[in-house]
Amino acid sequence: MTKLTAESRRHLRTQAIKSFLRRFLGHNGAWLGLLALAFFLVLAAMPGALVGPLQTAITATGDFLIPPSTQHLLGTDEIGRDVLNLIVHGARTSLTIALVSTVISLIVGITVGMTSGYYGGRIDAWLMRTTDFFFVIPSFVLALVITPVVLEVIGRGGDILGFRPSLFVIILVIGSTSWAFVARIVRSQTLSLRERQFVERARVVGTNDLNIMVHHLLPLLVPQVAANGALVVANAIYTETALSFLGLGDPLQPSWGTLLSLAERAGAASSGAWWYFGAPGLCVLIVSLGFVLVGNALDDTFNPRRRAIP
Amino acid sequence: MAGSLQGGRTSRRIGHVTFRAILTLFMVAILNFLLFRVIPGDPADMLLAGARNSVSAEQIESQRKSWGLDRPLIPDQLLNYLSTTFQGDLGYSFKFSGRRVADLILERLPATIALVGVAQVIAILCGVMLGIYAGWRRGGAIDHVVSGTSLALYSTPPFWLGMVLVLVFSTALGWLPGYGSYSPSAATADLPDWLGDRARHLVLPVLAIALGLIGQYVVVARAAMSDVVTEDYMVTARAKGLTSGQMLMRHAFRNALLPVVTLVTLNLGYIVSGAITVESVFAWPGIGSLTVEAVNGRDYPVLQGVFLLLGLSIVVANLVTDLAYGILDPRVR
Amino acid sequence: MKNPCQQAKAPILAVEGLAVDYRLRGSSLPTIRDVSFEIQAGEAVALVGESGSGKTTTAMAIAGLLPPNAAVSGGEVRYRGDRLPIDDDAAMRPHRWSEISVVFQGAMNALNPVHRIIKQIAEPCQLQLGMSRDEAIARARELLELVGISAERGRAYPHELSGGMRQRVMIAMALACSPSIVIGDEPTTALDVITQAQILKLLTALRSQLNLALILITHDLSVVAECCDRVMIMYAGRLVEDGSVADIFANPKHPYTKLLIESIPNPEHGKRMVRPIPGDPPTLQHRPSGCAFRSRCPSAMPVCATEVPNLKRWEQGRVACYLHPPMKHEEKALANA
Repeated sequence: MTKLTAESRRHLRTQAIKSFLRRFLGHNGAWLGLLALAFFLVLAAMPGALVGPLQTAITATGDFLIPPSTQHLLGTDEIGRDVLNLIVHGARTSLTIALVSTVISLIVGITVGMTSGYYGGRIDAWLMRTTDFFFVIPSFVLALVITPVVLEVIGRGGDILGFRPSLFVIILVIGSTSWAFVARIVRSQTLSLRERQFVERARVVGTNDLNIMVHHLLPLLVPQVAANGALVVANAIYTETALSFLGLGDPLQPSWGTLLSLAERAGAASSGAWWYFGAPGLCVLIVSLGFVLVGNALDDTFNPRRRAIP
Repeated sequence: MAGSLQGGRTSRRIGHVTFRAILTLFMVAILNFLLFRVIPGDPADMLLAGARNSVSAEQIESQRKSWGLDRPLIPDQLLNYLSTTFQGDLGYSFKFSGRRVADLILERLPATIALVGVAQVIAILCGVMLGIYAGWRRGGAIDHVVSGTSLALYSTPPFWLGMVLVLVFSTALGWLPGYGSYSPSAATADLPDWLGDRARHLVLPVLAIALGLIGQYVVVARAAMSDVVTEDYMVTARAKGLTSGQMLMRHAFRNALLPVVTLVTLNLGYIVSGAITVESVFAWPGIGSLTVEAVNGRDYPVLQGVFLLLGLSIVVANLVTDLAYGILDPRVR
Repeated sequence: MKNPCQQAKAPILAVEGLAVDYRLRGSSLPTIRDVSFEIQAGEAVALVGESGSGKTTTAMAIAGLLPPNAAVSGGEVRYRGDRLPIDDDAAMRPHRWSEISVVFQGAMNALNPVHRIIKQIAEPCQLQLGMSRDEAIARARELLELVGISAERGRAYPHELSGGMRQRVMIAMALACSPSIVIGDEPTTALDVITQAQILKLLTALRSQLNLALILITHDLSVVAECCDRVMIMYAGRLVEDGSVADIFANPKHPYTKLLIESIPNPEHGKRMVRPIPGDPPTLQHRPSGCAFRSRCPSAMPVCATEVPNLKRWEQGRVACYLHPPMKHEEKALANA
């Protein structure tokens, strides 16, 4: 084999990144998705600077349920809070829940999938049986029963690691129930990678298993995990919204789902207050569409379909 | 000989699939049991709190005994729980004082089955057809419109769609009712009117669930069809002189259906969450509304019952699609 | 040399000036150019070339099976003297399978995995010949026996058969509507050597039995010697040489053909190394001017860079090279100037 100098290796890497970007950004969907996500990430990053501090139920600034006006661009809710303000702050809550729970589920999924695929045998059998359970029973259904019970146990007051308890619980529950999909993909990838020569070589040289997994296998799993990770985020947003809509969110730090739940309880749809529930719903739609589009484009880039010319 | 070999493999597969289903169900039950015991307070209080007012002290005591609450957690209580659950005894509701959870669920089930069933049938028919057509004519104008709309529908929370539908068709236009499953005035009407009233109430909630599902089915059916179109056997079919309609019906349709069947199991979570939240929007008197009431009233026995029911239906749905896949695809038989 | 009776016979298939373009991101890429040849009834002709030489595209164009991103941009194909509508899917349909059928490479993918093989063989009989279902099944059973598979195996699915068996099924299917021409698109590529030999033997036997004309697409010259009468060599989308098997092997004229023959491993020469042809064939996007082979050609001349050599009659066959016929001195000077 030819020896690669550090220089040429770096060159190869920039080449690969360049060609990846060229193909990825060739998708119109990727552009749309990235644009939407960037917009909402900015909202989530500095809500205070954009619309001022989160107004709680106590500091209502307007009349009840007034339609959009110059003073309240998106109108007010049933207790006189500014809907725009709520939505911008909701972006932070919703995206935090979605992203952190996705990170958790990726960590669990990669760990389980890689361990399962790398060691095989009995470990694989047991891990996969567990994965099957989480694969078959949807995250939403598990979260639906686990969340209220856990909230009951730890109570709703105080805060845990800087999160309000109900947010913390939702993040944890979504993260720990939606990893099965990732685990399956990672396992099948690991199974095929394990047979490759460089893994064999590393093992012969005496590299320990953890080292092989982290330094040799993990980097090669990145494409698949990234493409599916985007879909996991979309799913997490969806699950969070549905759970909050059912009343499991935190009314004092409302996510978009919580806002929809409040709107529903205030009878927004039947009283014609479209501004109240319209905007948070659109936000959910745009963000999850954004992640789906980016995920699809990544998937297309990493697994190109058949060539145009035989 | 080949036939019996084939038969052996098929029955082994069915056995395997069934075993996995039972195992999953078992794990659902265990999770249910454990969650139950984690809640602070005496489980007997929790289980029987709802029954207090209407059940005598002796009855409570006998119930305690039959649940084995005086014995160790594992294995006695677990086994007891499993056997009582198996007999359909799910405890008493907190909120609906003294009512048995199993009765509550059975009472609410038909409304949900009607809602989800109609939505699912419509979604499969429309979604799969549209998706297969879009994949067959991919790149065309119809394909662009259909797949764009589907991706958007797929990303929309169905309950929000429900709220929009209520706003437009009920509040603004006044065409269709946006609340409940029947009007009180029509409850005593004669059969045609009664049916018409029920149907009118069904339209919006069904639409809210079905539209999201259609989005999903279109996305998957289109992707499946786009893959099938590039397969070598499609070139063979063309070479054999089949018309494009014959190619679609004889060679592409069934092959494209395979990934769709798998999808049905993958999106059960979507169907369940969609049904529950949409029911809540429309105050539809089904399992979904019951769940919402249970979550908000911390009515754990009902929540547990609902979880068990959902687990059971999901496992059964998985089993059915697994077996259906075996029928459609000779390679896994 | 040829007997007059044979000469008078009209060819069953005539290809004239065939050209195909691929479309890629708005631009159109010339893929095959100026391909002309004739095939007599019952004749077996091999179309040989490296991958990317356009041999499969040529065959697919003749069968009217070009993919949507390719189109015939010139020339015509005549079957028994009548023009075949190869660029019109609907008009081509009545001709398919009953006149020209195809044995595809890789039967695993060319057979539909969810249908029993008997159904797939019977399908064209029903649709093209208008047979009833029972008649078609009976015909399919006969065909299976003909290719050496017991009719009972017809109930099997493709994945239950071995590679060789699947290829036999493909052959049975190709014969379903009694075509006069069968195109074999690398029918033995995916098979092991022994199965490969069996399949070729089967094809040869069926050809004489049914008086089929056979167009065999292959990159493997050694396959050709066993079962073909004539060889056409293709390079970068053009025919470069055409001649009888005996002629081509004994006396190859085009430098490319010479190198191809030298690259066949020959057991008689013992341990002598196989000589691969130096360099790579030009890609579709970057076809050189003049003769496409000149960059790899040991005897390239300045004239090769300017003009594409035409395929001309020479001795018993045809060849497209400035070495044949050898130019006179003054001609050469003129051409090279």
